[in-house]
Amino acid sequence: MKRRDFLKILGVGGVGTGLGYFFGKASKPPAAELIPYLNPPVDVIPGVANWYPSLCTQCSAGCGIHVRVMEGRAKKIEGNPLHPINKGKLCARGQASLQALYNPDRIKKPLKRRGNRGKGDFEEITWEEGISILSKNLISLSEKGEADQLYLLTSQIRGSLNNLLNSFMVSYGSPNYLQYELFQNKNLLHASQVTMGVNAIPHYDIANTKYLLSFGADFSSTWVSPVSYSYAYGQMRQGEDGIRGKLVQIEPRLSLTGANADEWVPAKPGTEGVLALAIAYAIVEDGYYKGPDAASWKALLSGYSPKDAAVVTEVAEGRIREIAKEFGQTRPSLAIGGENLARYENGMSGLVAVNILNHLAGNIGVRGGVIPNSNGSRTIDFKNNIAALAEAASASKVKTLLVYDTNPVFTTPKAMKTEESLRNIPFIASFSSFMDETTAMADLILPAHTSLEDWGDDFADPSVGYPVATLMQPAVSPFFNTMGIGDIILSLAKGVGGKVKDKMQWNGFSDYLKDAWKENYSKDKDMLASALTFDEFWNQLLTRGGWWPDEKAKVKAVSVSPKGIEAHISKVSSRFEGDEKGFPLYLTTYAHSSHLDGRGANLPWLQEMPDPMTSVVWGNWIEVNPTTASSLGIKEGETVTVESPFGKINAHVYLYPGIRPDTVSMPIGQGHRAYGRYAKDTGSNPIEILPFKEDPETREIALNSTRVRISRTTASEKMVKIEGSTKELGRNIVQTISPEEFKRMNKEVS
Amino acid sequence: MKKFILYIIIGAATFIMGYTINNMYSPDLSPVQPIPFSHKIHAGTNKIPCMYCHIYAENSRHAGVPNVKRCMGCHSIIRTDSPLIQTLTSYWEKKEPIPWVKVYNLPDHVYFPHKRHVKAGVPCQRCHGDVANMDRITRQAVSFGIPYARVSPLKMGWCLECHKNEAQKYIGTPVKNGTDCWTCHN
Repeated sequence: MKRRDFLKILGVGGVGTGLGYFFGKASKPPAAELIPYLNPPVDVIPGVANWYPSLCTQCSAGCGIHVRVMEGRAKKIEGNPLHPINKGKLCARGQASLQALYNPDRIKKPLKRRGNRGKGDFEEITWEEGISILSKNLISLSEKGEADQLYLLTSQIRGSLNNLLNSFMVSYGSPNYLQYELFQNKNLLHASQVTMGVNAIPHYDIANTKYLLSFGADFSSTWVSPVSYSYAYGQMRQGEDGIRGKLVQIEPRLSLTGANADEWVPAKPGTEGVLALAIAYAIVEDGYYKGPDAASWKALLSGYSPKDAAVVTEVAEGRIREIAKEFGQTRPSLAIGGENLARYENGMSGLVAVNILNHLAGNIGVRGGVIPNSNGSRTIDFKNNIAALAEAASASKVKTLLVYDTNPVFTTPKAMKTEESLRNIPFIASFSSFMDETTAMADLILPAHTSLEDWGDDFADPSVGYPVATLMQPAVSPFFNTMGIGDIILSLAKGVGGKVKDKMQWNGFSDYLKDAWKENYSKDKDMLASALTFDEFWNQLLTRGGWWPDEKAKVKAVSVSPKGIEAHISKVSSRFEGDEKGFPLYLTTYAHSSHLDGRGANLPWLQEMPDPMTSVVWGNWIEVNPTTASSLGIKEGETVTVESPFGKINAHVYLYPGIRPDTVSMPIGQGHRAYGRYAKDTGSNPIEILPFKEDPETREIALNSTRVRISRTTASEKMVKIEGSTKELGRNIVQTISPEEFKRMNKEVS
Repeated sequence: MKKFILYIIIGAATFIMGYTINNMYSPDLSPVQPIPFSHKIHAGTNKIPCMYCHIYAENSRHAGVPNVKRCMGCHSIIRTDSPLIQTLTSYWEKKEPIPWVKVYNLPDHVYFPHKRHVKAGVPCQRCHGDVANMDRITRQAVSFGIPYARVSPLKMGWCLECHKNEAQKYIGTPVKNGTDCWTCHN
């Protein structure tokens, strides 16, 4: 290069750099802006978090939460350490409820249907319009004398909102206020009613028990009150007295709880109830039951001898007797009947059998056993349930349906024809915040707040032996143009006018709630003693997060007698639809640990959280035993058609050694057709192919009630899961030794 | 012709280089504010204490900029004839906050609480300089008559120096765990 060129290049470069620098200086936007408050709220200090106690509504356990709020934005949710149910702990679903608040798929404004029903074509309207459309509909209904053809369907709401909805429906003149959720523990409640005479699910004192016999109760992920039970389970295993409690899990498919158990008893699907009765028989026969009425129990249980039961349940007679011995002799022991047992066609029978077991072993009303809760307000309406609604709707006896916080289109079997019958209803209004399958069929959507924006309260059921009430208070201001469900009902009452308006004169639901608590306060002597004035008491409620007594209530004894129980137990194992030849495999379904009945599927945190047993994310699967799979020539990740007599779906195969070879299993929760961008089209919904079968007593829908066949398709997909191989590949990770070798080595050492 | 293209390429490349250098390494030390607010008048002449306006400094990690209501508390009476105060009033009337420009911008990976430092007795001037004599807040310090130094460098060594030595002036001992990574980077 010539010297001249070099200098020229140097010059150009220097000028370029300089120009760039100065241009950058001139065009640079300010580094950051400091936006002050115009007029600061009194209770906000920027940079310092406020923690608001509230209530978790992701399932019906009723855990207390603390919401961390900074500058008016909810940032994190933790368990309320004072709360007796979850004791400061919180599950993944509770943590993720933050994403319900910030969900991009929330319904932001009231909507009115524009196009055909179910096509998702809505136009935005104002709240005034929305309320007036609905109240006009209700007025015309009652003018025509068809007030009783208004139906209100909600999830399992307890507490003041339930009372408000009830008094709205009563004063309007309709008896049809019903509650439906897929996992509503109706069988569990009724079993407690018929055996112990207590109208509440009892408190299972897992923490203090020494022998826990669980019939398919997956209490560490979804059953009834998972946070409470998981905490108690930790105490049972490493309690203060140093004795490690034993857990025996009886279920055809190994759940997370089963994986933690000392023993897994894979009884044949549908026979667990019979197995429970056989254990009961062995307890009486082998003399572990010391009660005076042993003879009548024996008479009742005759026909369930372990020998016969061994044939039916495929559990060896010796093992049944061994369980009976351990269960009958260990003090205290506890038997629980979970969702797997409860959701057979005769699920009630199985749960009653579990209660009989508890009685025979002397576990009812003792520490570490079954502690009855005081009578709840919840009564089972055997007539008015979701099936009755579907029947009435298909007979055109439902004129208007109001839906809140429940999604029957997704959570009922196709064979029940819920969707078709809802199409028969002339007017459907939904109060959901999300466009789920049921809301998509609505004519009018008045979106309610999420739980972090609304007022409310809850009386936990099951409680922990003494009543626990939790208060829900708004942690943040509403994000969108939504309204609290209580406020919607109150303004609807104003719109409808007449008797309804006279009955409901409150300005807002927060007033209603406060009045309800004023009444509680004036009636309860413990509450009266805790504060001088109601205002003081109310502030205490808001800061503690609810009301529960400080000291534990005395455990009261409840007796179970063999009289009248016979009607509730059935000697036969539960039937499965489909003949054995055509449909060789039992299908059991279970709640997905993060989506429950499908409600969690729209929260991406939960979608990307690996399932604890399979580690699969984003989607669902069908669990097939490797032996079964190899006999069918199926590999993991292959898409198979799962076909029952009632329909077929596609699913990816997950090879799962923890399942009986004659059984396949699918989690419930995925396979939404609507419900937002995260939930839509992930996996398939096994409820679709279930038959419509109910427990004859409680009319609870049976989930484990059909056989299926699986057949290969051409498609295949790599499973999205975080676990690697289940094989050691000679890496000697888990080192094993045979008992003989161990004995020999012991001898050599000593 | 070939050479001409070469020069353009070199020029463009170095232009981008200069622009990037400026953006990455040369923050605006005394940015222009939406209202030419003078600390010299407020903190200097009128001797208003810092914490009268920066109300959160004692309670939060943020010192906080005064909310518009606080400004209006005085300026609904004082100097209402000044055009600059009228600008302020117009913000208040429009119900708009004033978009002040941040001067001290710490990187995201460091956690700096004002609260602890103020409570320990570190005077505001120690890090923010002689604010009472600044019309516009600046981080530019003048050394030997040349404006090249910083009021406070905001570099890690500078923080640690104080945590180890100067802290003794305020709290009697070096800062407890003051040189621990997690004390500031949490």
